Amino acid sequence: MKTIDEIINNKYTGLYYGNRVILPFTAFFIEIIIESDIITDFSISSKGVLLETHENCTNLYFLDYKNLKDSIGKFENIKLLIVENGKDVFDLKNHRKLALYLKDNHILEIEELDNDILFID
Amino acid sequence: MKNNLIFTLVIALMLLLTVDSFSTNYKNIDQVQKENSVTINNGDSNSHEGHELPAAYMVIPFVVLLMMIATGPIMYHHFWERNYPKIAIALGLFTTAYYVLILHDTHSVMHTFAEYLSFIALLSSLFVASGGILIKVDKKATPMLNVLFFLFGGVLANIIGTTGASMLLIRPFIKINKHRIKPYHIIFFIFVISNIGGALTPIGDPPLFLGFLRGVPFFWVISNVWYIWLPTILIVCFVFYIIDSKNKTGEETVAKEYSGKIEFKGAKNVLFLLVIILSVFLDPGVISWVPSLSPLPIGIREIIMFSIVFLAYRHADPAILKANEFDFEPIKEVAFLFIGIFLTMIPALQLIAYQARVYSDLLHADSFYWATGILSSFLDNAPTYLNFLSAAMGKYGLNINNSTEVFDFVVQDKIYLQAISVAAVFFGAMTYIGNGPNFMVKSISERAGIKMPSFFTYMIKYSIPLLIPIFILVWFFFFNS
Repeated sequence: MKTIDEIINNKYTGLYYGNRVILPFTAFFIEIIIESDIITDFSISSKGVLLETHENCTNLYFLDYKNLKDSIGKFENIKLLIVENGKDVFDLKNHRKLALYLKDNHILEIEELDNDILFID
Repeated sequence: MKNNLIFTLVIALMLLLTVDSFSTNYKNIDQVQKENSVTINNGDSNSHEGHELPAAYMVIPFVVLLMMIATGPIMYHHFWERNYPKIAIALGLFTTAYYVLILHDTHSVMHTFAEYLSFIALLSSLFVASGGILIKVDKKATPMLNVLFFLFGGVLANIIGTTGASMLLIRPFIKINKHRIKPYHIIFFIFVISNIGGALTPIGDPPLFLGFLRGVPFFWVISNVWYIWLPTILIVCFVFYIIDSKNKTGEETVAKEYSGKIEFKGAKNVLFLLVIILSVFLDPGVISWVPSLSPLPIGIREIIMFSIVFLAYRHADPAILKANEFDFEPIKEVAFLFIGIFLTMIPALQLIAYQARVYSDLLHADSFYWATGILSSFLDNAPTYLNFLSAAMGKYGLNINNSTEVFDFVVQDKIYLQAISVAAVFFGAMTYIGNGPNFMVKSISERAGIKMPSFFTYMIKYSIPLLIPIFILVWFFFFNS
């Protein structure tokens, strides 16, 4: 199981297919922003994002989208506010802001958000 | 959701009653038309032909589109997101078919289409050029800094347009306030920088630009509107200052040292902005040697602006585009929605223009102020401005299609043009659809994670309680006849 730091520092990538994003880590999800949608409800009844956690990866299904590539532009991203598994969710210092960029050949780049990218949580 | 539904039904009912009222008036207009043989010119200098007035029911596509713009993002968000281009175009084509096949009036449609192309050329070029500029301000956000930011943005809006200023400044504004930002910050940004600020020059807002093309001298606006603009801006900023002073969010949690630096990247895009501003004047009506490309619906100006869209995007620094999360979606949304709005509002504007001319003797500065303002809140303010200017000139038997007569009118009695100019620009802040940049600012803010109020909440919680009292003061002190 890779840590978030390992993923960021080693520039590990994820994958995306259609409306599905596969992240090479597991985490506690607090907020996801895709286009103008700010998603904080990850309950089963939610129609926004379906989370599916496996041992070494997490599947995110964006249920309102057929194909993410059609909606997310070259310079756009999907923003995640997460806490690494095993860390204290209630400590704000553990909240990590990541950006996912959709590249060619289903490659998903994962970057820690810097100060240039706006993400108000 | 239930409350929204009830509210929507109430609004729908009110709009249908408006249509019904149009219908009743239309019978009267029809009679008057037969008696007086009045023709429609829709404020168009090239139109000499008389055409039949459209049937009152033809405002329905426009009402439907407005209702869907208002309710779609709230009630059927993803259906709307996927289908708004088809809906806007289908409703626009319905109106086009009516004009071409029933009224045999291709001129109104072509003229509107040309105006739409000018509108979207200016908006898209400013959007792309400013998207390649990155401004970083490392200062501590305070209510006073925000007020100064608004005043700067308000002035800048007169130099690069409300769209350019909004696109350039919204991200730095959010960044400065990121530890304490609330929806009201964005809403006051829309009030001041995306709308009211741009009332001083013809570049500031499209209706003033159309007035300039018709013969209103370039500096007439600033010399006759500044003393209305200044107190209005100051009052809005004062209200903001009071609200923002009560916002203590982030003060305890954020202990950061600020360098006070302002960083600016993307200088070459400033050149593109300059070219856009200069190209605004490249109109055969303004500079005689500029060739007209008629019958093409675009001119040299639009060709330059669309070229800048291509060049500014191609030569922009990818790092800046990434930092700005640049995407064509916001301008695509404006482009699709406004092609529908421009086409479906032709009947509404013609009926309004006709009524205004028929009843011009009964119209005074205050009625021009309120009528232009209320309609500019929901319709495009540029044609609304032209139609009411046409009606005001009609009071003196002057014709908007003659630039000498426009100049005579401006000299003769300035209060009407003041009322129309101020209302067309100021009231654009009343709704998300009142002015092009409002939607773009909303979209950028949401992508940054700021939960913005819905169409109706924006009006009920912000624009009506905050702006209407200020606009009443403007009316009372300047246009109360």
